[in-house]
Amino acid sequence: MKRAFQLISSAMVAASMFLAGCAQGRKLPMTTLAPKSDLADWIYRLFIEVTLWDGLVLAIVIVAFLLAIFVFSTRVGEAAPPSSAASDLKLEVAWTVGPALILLMITIPTIRTIFRSQPNLPPAGALEIKVVAHQWWWEFQYGDKDHVITANEMHIPVGVPIRLTLQSGDVIHSFWVPQLGGKRDVVPGQLNELTFIAYVPGVYPGQCAEFCGESHANMRFRVFVDTPQQFAEWEKGQSTMPTAGAAMTDKAAARGAQVFSNSPCAACHRIDGVSKGYIGPDLSHFGSRTTMASAIEANTPANVADWIVNPGRVKPGAQMPKLGLSGTQLNDLVAYLENLK
Amino acid sequence: MAAQPKPLPIETPNYLQGGGLIGWLTTVDHKRVAVLYALSAFVFMAIGGIEAMLIRIQLWSPENHFLTAGVYNQLFTMHGTTMIFLVVMPLEIGFFSNFVMPLQIGARDVAFPRLNAMSFWLALAGGIFLHLGWIWGGLPDAGWFGYANLTERYFSPGLNLDFWVVGLLILGVSTLASGLNFFVTIVAMRAKGMSYMRMPMFVWAVLITSILILIAFPPLTVGLVFLLLDRFFGTHFYVAAYGATPILWQHLFWLFGHPEVYIMALPAFGMISEILPVFSRKPLFGYPMMAYSIILIAFLSYGVWGHHMFATGMGPVADSAFAITSMLIAIPTGIKVFSWLATVWGGSLRMTTAFYFGLGFILEFTIGGLSGVMHATAPVDLQQTDSYFVVAHFHYVLFGGVMFAILGAIYYWWPKVTGRMLSERLGKLQFWLTVIGFNGTFFPMHFLGMWGMPRRIYTYGAGLGWTSLNQLETVSAFILGLAFLVMYYNLIKSTLSGEKASADPWDGRSLEWSIASPPPAYNFAHVPEVRGRDAYWVMKYGRAGSRGVAMFVAGQVPPVPESMQAPPTEPIHMPAPSIFPLFIALGLSIAGAGLVMGLWRLIILGGVTLFTSAVAMGFEYPSYGQEPHDLEEIAPSSGGIDLRKAGLWAFLGSECVFFASLIATYVVYKSRNVGGPGAGILEIPLTSVSTFALLMSSLAMVLALNAIQQNKKNMMRLWLAVTISLGLVFLGVEAYEFAHFYHQGLAMQTDLFGQSFFTLVGFHGFHVSVGVLWLATVWFASFSPKFDKSRALSVEMAGLYWHFVDIVWVIIFTLVYLMQQVKGA
Ligand code: HEM
Ligand SMILES: [Cu+2]
Ligand SMILES: [Cu+2]
Repeated sequence: MKRAFQLISSAMVAASMFLAGCAQGRKLPMTTLAPKSDLADWIYRLFIEVTLWDGLVLAIVIVAFLLAIFVFSTRVGEAAPPSSAASDLKLEVAWTVGPALILLMITIPTIRTIFRSQPNLPPAGALEIKVVAHQWWWEFQYGDKDHVITANEMHIPVGVPIRLTLQSGDVIHSFWVPQLGGKRDVVPGQLNELTFIAYVPGVYPGQCAEFCGESHANMRFRVFVDTPQQFAEWEKGQSTMPTAGAAMTDKAAARGAQVFSNSPCAACHRIDGVSKGYIGPDLSHFGSRTTMASAIEANTPANVADWIVNPGRVKPGAQMPKLGLSGTQLNDLVAYLENLK
Repeated sequence: MAAQPKPLPIETPNYLQGGGLIGWLTTVDHKRVAVLYALSAFVFMAIGGIEAMLIRIQLWSPENHFLTAGVYNQLFTMHGTTMIFLVVMPLEIGFFSNFVMPLQIGARDVAFPRLNAMSFWLALAGGIFLHLGWIWGGLPDAGWFGYANLTERYFSPGLNLDFWVVGLLILGVSTLASGLNFFVTIVAMRAKGMSYMRMPMFVWAVLITSILILIAFPPLTVGLVFLLLDRFFGTHFYVAAYGATPILWQHLFWLFGHPEVYIMALPAFGMISEILPVFSRKPLFGYPMMAYSIILIAFLSYGVWGHHMFATGMGPVADSAFAITSMLIAIPTGIKVFSWLATVWGGSLRMTTAFYFGLGFILEFTIGGLSGVMHATAPVDLQQTDSYFVVAHFHYVLFGGVMFAILGAIYYWWPKVTGRMLSERLGKLQFWLTVIGFNGTFFPMHFLGMWGMPRRIYTYGAGLGWTSLNQLETVSAFILGLAFLVMYYNLIKSTLSGEKASADPWDGRSLEWSIASPPPAYNFAHVPEVRGRDAYWVMKYGRAGSRGVAMFVAGQVPPVPESMQAPPTEPIHMPAPSIFPLFIALGLSIAGAGLVMGLWRLIILGGVTLFTSAVAMGFEYPSYGQEPHDLEEIAPSSGGIDLRKAGLWAFLGSECVFFASLIATYVVYKSRNVGGPGAGILEIPLTSVSTFALLMSSLAMVLALNAIQQNKKNMMRLWLAVTISLGLVFLGVEAYEFAHFYHQGLAMQTDLFGQSFFTLVGFHGFHVSVGVLWLATVWFASFSPKFDKSRALSVEMAGLYWHFVDIVWVIIFTLVYLMQQVKGA
C-alpha cells in the first residue's frame, strides 16, 4: 500500500517535474512548482499530495459520468433501460465515508505543515529583516539599528534561517516570492512574520499579492539569494556611507549631488550622510541596484531620467511628484544617483 | 385609501397580458416581478460580460496599453460586483425562485407580494447606484470585496466608493426582504399535502438559501455601516492608528461572503436537481440525503469564513480550525455530485439543451469543488490565494457551476415563463461554444496561478512566461462571448416568433407544469392536492418511480387532470397592484444619493417619501378594511401559521445576527481602546433605572395583549400607554446619557470605545424608537370601531417586537455596563 502510494506519487512528481521542466525551459521565474526554500518545498509536497487525491476523485467522477451517460442508460424511446433504484443506502454510505477518509488523509499533513511553517520563535541564528510595504514599493531594513536600509531588492544568504517581520506604511499588501514560499499579508497595525531557509542561490522575483490601489500591479521586487561571501560583501557595501558627492571622481555626479540637496528630492529620500527623508525609498546605494521603480524597470540612466521627469507615467499613481528638472541638471542628478554604489 | 381587491373575471388572460406600463410599475404578481428581475439581470449580464472582455483584451500581451491602471481596476471591481449582485443573485433568487417556487408549492403568490415588488425596485436602484460613480469621474475600484483600509476616505477619496457602499446597502435590504418573503412563503403557503419531504429539491434549496440570506446579510450590513461612518462621519473602525484593525472588515465581510457563495450555489444545486430527473425520467436519487446535505452545507458555510484569510496571519490554531471546517464541507458536496450521477445512471435520457447544461454542470462544478479542497489545505492556499489559480477556482464554481445551472434553467423554464420554446439547435450551438470557451478561458488560469501570476494586475512583465496562456484565454473568452450572443439572439427570436409551448413541454414532474404556459395571473384555478414527491408526475403516471416511456414515445403523455384545467368556479381574490413599493425604493435611493452628495434636503425628501409610502402601504389591503378570512383564500396555509407572525420571527432572527455583530465589535474594540475616556465613563445607577423602566414596559405590554384578547379595549389602551411612556422614559435617559458623555468629551470620533459604544447603543435606541412609533400607531388605530378582539394579532406583533428589543437591551446592559463594573472593581 505504502509502496503503491510512493509509486504513484513519484509518478505525479515526475509529471509535475515535467511541468516544472517546462517551467525551466520556458523560463517561469515566478513558478510555485520549482521550490527553492524549505517553506516552498513543504507547500509543494503538500500540493502534490492533494493534487493526487483530487486527481483520483476527478477520475472516478469522470468515469462514472461517462458510464452513466453512455453505458448504463438508454435514450428515451430505445429499449427499456436497466432498472435502477431511487436510493441505495450502501452506495450513499460509501460516497459519504470514502471522501471523508480521503479528506482525513489530506487534513493530517495539512495541519502538520501549518504548524511546521509557523514557528513561534525565530530559529536559532536567524537573520531578521524588517519589511515595510508602501504604496507601491518595498523597504527592507537589516539589523537592530537598521544599519542597512534598501528598497525593492532584498539580499539574503543561502542556507541561513530568515525571519521577516512585515509591516505596512499605509494599506494592506501581501509579500510573495513564489519560489521561496507562500504569501503573507502585510497588515497595518499588525506584526506578521515569515520564516524560511533558501536553498539555492539565485535571483527570485516577487510581487505584492493583495490589491492595494492603482499601481498594485507595479509593486514588484526581487530577492537575491547570495552565497555567504557574496552576502557579506553586499552587506559591507550597504552599511558603509556612500562617497560624499563632492568627493566623487565623476564631475557630473559631483554636480548632481548639489542638485539633489537643493531640490525637493532630499525632503523625501534618505541618503546616508546627506539627507533624512523617509517618505520615499532610501537611495544611499541606489547605484548598486539592478532595477528601479519597484523592480518594474532596469536601473539604467535613461530609465532613471524618465522616471524623474514623470514618475506617474512609469508607475500610475506614484506618490512622487514631477520635479520639473531637465537638461544638464537632470543628467547630473542621474549621474550622481548611479554613482551611489 | 384602502384599496379593495378586485375579484378577477372568470376567464383570465395569462399573467403577461393587460395592464400596460402602469400595470408593470405597480405589479405585485410574483411572476411579473420575476420577469422584471430577469430583464434587468440580462442587461447587467451584458455589461458585466463586456467588462470581462475588456479585461481579457488588456491581458492579451505584457505591458499592454489598451487600458490604464485606473480603468482596469474599475473594470474588475465592477465585473465581479455586477456578476454576483446584479446577475447571478437576481437571476437565481429574483427570477427563478420568484417565478418557479410558488408554482412548485401550489401557491398563488408569495407571502408578501408588495414586499416582493419592493425587493425588485430596490435591486434595480442598487444596481443603478453602483454605476452612478460613472457620472462623477469613475466606477468603484477597490475589488468586489473592497478590503479596508484601502476603502477609507484617505486612500480612496472619490465618490465612487460612496456609491458602492450605499448601493450594496440598498441591495442588502432588497435581498433580505426576498429571503424573508420566500422563507415565509415556503413555511406557510404550501399546498395541501406538500409536506417538507415532498417538496421539489429546488424549493428545499430556496428555503435554505432564504435562511442563509437572513443570517448572512447582517454582518455585511454592519461592516458597510462602519465603513460609511468612517467615510462620512470621521470614525476609525478600520484605521490602525487608532488601535482598530482593517482585519475587522475581512471578518465581517467573509462572515457574509462565504455563505454568499452558497446563496449563489444552493439555488443552482436546486435547479440541477430539477432538470436531471426530468430528462432522465427518474426520480432524484437519494432525495433525503440531497435535502440533508443542503442543510449541512448551509450550516457549515457559516463556519469557514477564515479560509479566505489564511494569508492574514491568524496563527496556526485558527488556520487549522478553518482548514478542517472547510474540508468538511466537501463531504455533503460530494454526496450531491454522486447523487446527481446516480440520477442519470440507468435513466431514459432525452438530450435537450437544458439537460446538456445540467450534465456540463456536474463536471465543471466538480473541478471547481476539487480545487476548493486545495484552498482548504491552508499552506497550499498561501501559494494560490490572490493568484490566477483562485480566479480559475471561483469561475469553475460560479460559472462552470452556477452559470451553467442558470443557463440550463433558462432553457428549462423559458417555455413556462414566456409560453414559447427556445431553439434547441441554437441552444446546442450555445452549449458547445460555452464549453469550449469556458474551459479554454479558465483552465489555463490554474497554470498561470501556479506559475505565479497574481490576480487584479492590469499589466505584467514579458519575461515571466505568462504570455501565451493569456492569449489562449483571451481568444477563448471571445468564443465564450459569442456563446452569449447566440443566447441573446435565441431569447429574442423566441420571444418574437418562437414555437408556442404547451403546458407541459418536457413531461415534467413538478406542479408548475400542470398549469398553462404562460400561467394565468392566479396560477392555479384549483389549488392542487399533493399526493407524493414529484407531485405532478404522480398525478400523471400514478407513482414517482414509473417511467411512462411507452406512453411518452407513443405521444400519449397523460393530459393535465380535468379537475385542474377547469376554469375557476368562483372569483379568485388576488392582491391589488400598488405603486408604493416603487415609491419606497425611490425614497431610499433619493436619501442615499443625498447622503453621498452631502445634500441634506435630498436626504429629508427621500426619508419623507420612504416613510409616507411605507405607512400608506401599511394601510392598504390586506391589513385594514379587509376581513381576515379573505386572507386565507390567497394563502392556503399548510400549518395554520400566520404569515405576518412568521415574517416577524424571521426578521427578528436576522436582527439577532445584526446585534451579535455589533456586540462582538464592541467587545473586541473596547479591549483595544487607546487614549480617550474608555468604558470607565459609564454610569450604572442611572442606566439601571432606565433598564428597570424598559423591563416594566414589557410587563405592561403583556397586560395590553391580555386585555385585547378579552376584548377589553380601554384596558388595552391604558396598558399600551404605559408601555409607550416607559419606552419614552428609557429613550429620555439614553438621550441624557449621550449628551452627558458628549460634554465629557466622548464622541463617536473620540476613540474605539466611543465609536463602538455609540453604534451599538445607538442602533438599539433606534429600535426602541421604532417600537414606540409602532405601538403608538396601534394605539391610534385602536380608536377605529373595527378594532376588536379579531385584531389582537396587530397588538401581538408589536408586542413581539417590543419584547425582542427589551431582551437585546438586557444583553447590552449586562455586557456593556455590568461587566465593565466587574472588571473595574
Ligand atoms: C464572459 C465570461 C467571463 C470572463 C471572460 C471572466 C473573466 C474574468 C477575469 C479575467 C477576472 C480577473 C480579473 C483580474 O483579477 O484582474 C475575473 C474576475 C472575477 N469574475 Fe469573471 N469572467 C467571466 C464571467 C464571470 C461570471 C459569470 C461570474 C459569476 C458570478 C464572474 C465573477 C468574477 C468575480 C467575482 C471576479 C473577481 C473580481 C475581483 O477581483 O474583485 N465572472 N473574471
Ligand atoms: Cu498590492
Ligand atoms: Cu469561501
